[in-house]
Amino acid sequence: MTSLIELQGVSKEYTRGGEQLVVLDQLNLSIDEKSFVAMMGPSGSGKTTILNLVGGLDKPDKGVVSVDGLNLAQLGTGELAKWRALHVGFVFQSFNLMPVLTAYENVALPLLLTPLARKKRREHAEYALEVVGLKDRMDHRPGQLSGGQEQRVAIARAIVTDPALIVADEPTGDLDRENADEVLDLLTRLNQELGKTILMVTHDPAAAKVASRTLHLDKGALADRGAA
Amino acid sequence: MSRTPWFLVRRNLGEHWFRSLLTVGSLAAAVFLFCMLRSVITSLESTVEEASADRVIVQSSVSLFVSLPQDYQAKIAAVPGVEEVSKFNWFGGYFREPKNMFAQFAIDHVIFFKMYDSDMELMAGHDAGPETAAAVIQAFKADRRAAIVGADLAKEFDWKVGDTVPIIPTIYRKQDGSEWEFNIVGFYQPKRSSVDRRTMFFRFDYLDETLRPEQGPVDVGTFSVNTQPGYPASQVISDIDALFVNGPQSTKTSTEAAFQATFVSMMGNLPFFFGTIGGAVLIAVLFSVINTMYIAGRQRVHDAGILQALGYRGTVMVRLLLAEALLLTILGGGLGIGLSVLAAVGAKAVLASFLPNFVIMPDTLMWAAVISLGIGVLAGIGPGWMASRYEPTAALRSS
Repeated sequence: MTSLIELQGVSKEYTRGGEQLVVLDQLNLSIDEKSFVAMMGPSGSGKTTILNLVGGLDKPDKGVVSVDGLNLAQLGTGELAKWRALHVGFVFQSFNLMPVLTAYENVALPLLLTPLARKKRREHAEYALEVVGLKDRMDHRPGQLSGGQEQRVAIARAIVTDPALIVADEPTGDLDRENADEVLDLLTRLNQELGKTILMVTHDPAAAKVASRTLHLDKGALADRGAA
Repeated sequence: MSRTPWFLVRRNLGEHWFRSLLTVGSLAAAVFLFCMLRSVITSLESTVEEASADRVIVQSSVSLFVSLPQDYQAKIAAVPGVEEVSKFNWFGGYFREPKNMFAQFAIDHVIFFKMYDSDMELMAGHDAGPETAAAVIQAFKADRRAAIVGADLAKEFDWKVGDTVPIIPTIYRKQDGSEWEFNIVGFYQPKRSSVDRRTMFFRFDYLDETLRPEQGPVDVGTFSVNTQPGYPASQVISDIDALFVNGPQSTKTSTEAAFQATFVSMMGNLPFFFGTIGGAVLIAVLFSVINTMYIAGRQRVHDAGILQALGYRGTVMVRLLLAEALLLTILGGGLGIGLSVLAAVGAKAVLASFLPNFVIMPDTLMWAAVISLGIGVLAGIGPGWMASRYEPTAALRSS
């Protein structure tokens, strides 16, 4: 299996309250295409930082982050935004849906950045909502949906442009067990049936179990004990 | 390829509809006030600009409240370059009760309307024309108590030709305390917007001959002087003032435009006063709209993070907040402009005596539109830039 994500000698520091915090230190990591990888570790271990680097939301201080052979650090702000629009879908713990938009409009939002015509955008958005089982709720606003439904809408938004990579930051963190299982089942289907590469941060051991590989981070260093 | 989700503008404004409504309302009120106040200023200025270039006004050098002897008229008429001279006396009375105050002037019945032919058109009834105008002049000359009134004034009090109108004096009181009676012989319509539509003109000799036995000859407030075409008004002015430099009353002669400007300045520096009020209100509204948009921008930082995560550039928030602010200010400005245009009709009637040529000029409306758009741009760019400068990760962390 070929590698989709490569992190080589990646370091990242933040300044908090005048103090330098080393979040990632010379990290090397390779993630295969079409794999489902869970990242676990205590708070502050650098899990979300890795997601942000891989998703092109942040840049490393040192080292190389490449996705599908493209060194993200070499892209300008505009190019990076364009790359995100086409190649990565985000799923957040707190869903991050636009509260003033309907489920359909939230899902269709990334499609405005594609050359698709209005009719095609509608077809894609409706299909994405169908995949997550919420086509009948497309005219509802986030406030009218349950937490699980909101997260499924967020997943539909993440896949609507058909990106190869989905990064999920504690996607079940705000959900009860039943809804969490539904979301994990959906992510598993996306990985197995649609071939999406999924990189998921989680504190939930049950969530990590559905992944094909689990990475453990501690103080910016990696201790890969994952299977497969 | 669309790069801006414009529908977010409509949704966000609708979501905060009460705030949007207040912003639109405050800007509409400010623009309305700006249009009305600026129109007062431009109307005052046009009164001065419309003044006749061939007419000069002679008054006492002391002040408008000091009168001049009647025999000055013949001396002024003899000054080279002078074509015609008329007395022009403020009467200061009212019809029935003090609230019915309007301008009344005692003038020379033989010459006055010829001198002011370019300012007003005489009418017997409601049809104007050379024949009826001549008939009105004839009637005015024939009746010592004759009066010609503005058509709007006649309409207001339902006066008709042949009516006798009692006017209660505040300056020229008769010893027996009786009212002055005037016979309406015709009406006038202004030919220029700066001419008052609510004035009564009556014969100076009626005033003088009535009071002379009791109080002696009536002095003259001002003399209105038409100069010969092509003759330099400045020369006429200096010659008239030179003639009376040794009294008994020295004079101050000025062009009609300068006289109007002096008259306007007697009311205080209205342009400065109104300009200051209008400017202060607009600046207050500018701050208010900017503050509103900053609040909107602060609330939208998280949205900016979401949009950036989805692949939008940070500048999308500048465009969205700019569009929001512009939409609010276009609505508010448009409403204010529309209201001022509607209100101008009523304001013209209210200000008829004070400012007969009150009108909202197109350039005032244009300035109101430009200022509204300017406020929108200023209110949109700053908050938009603030929301866009966040890194995506920092924006997503914000609550």
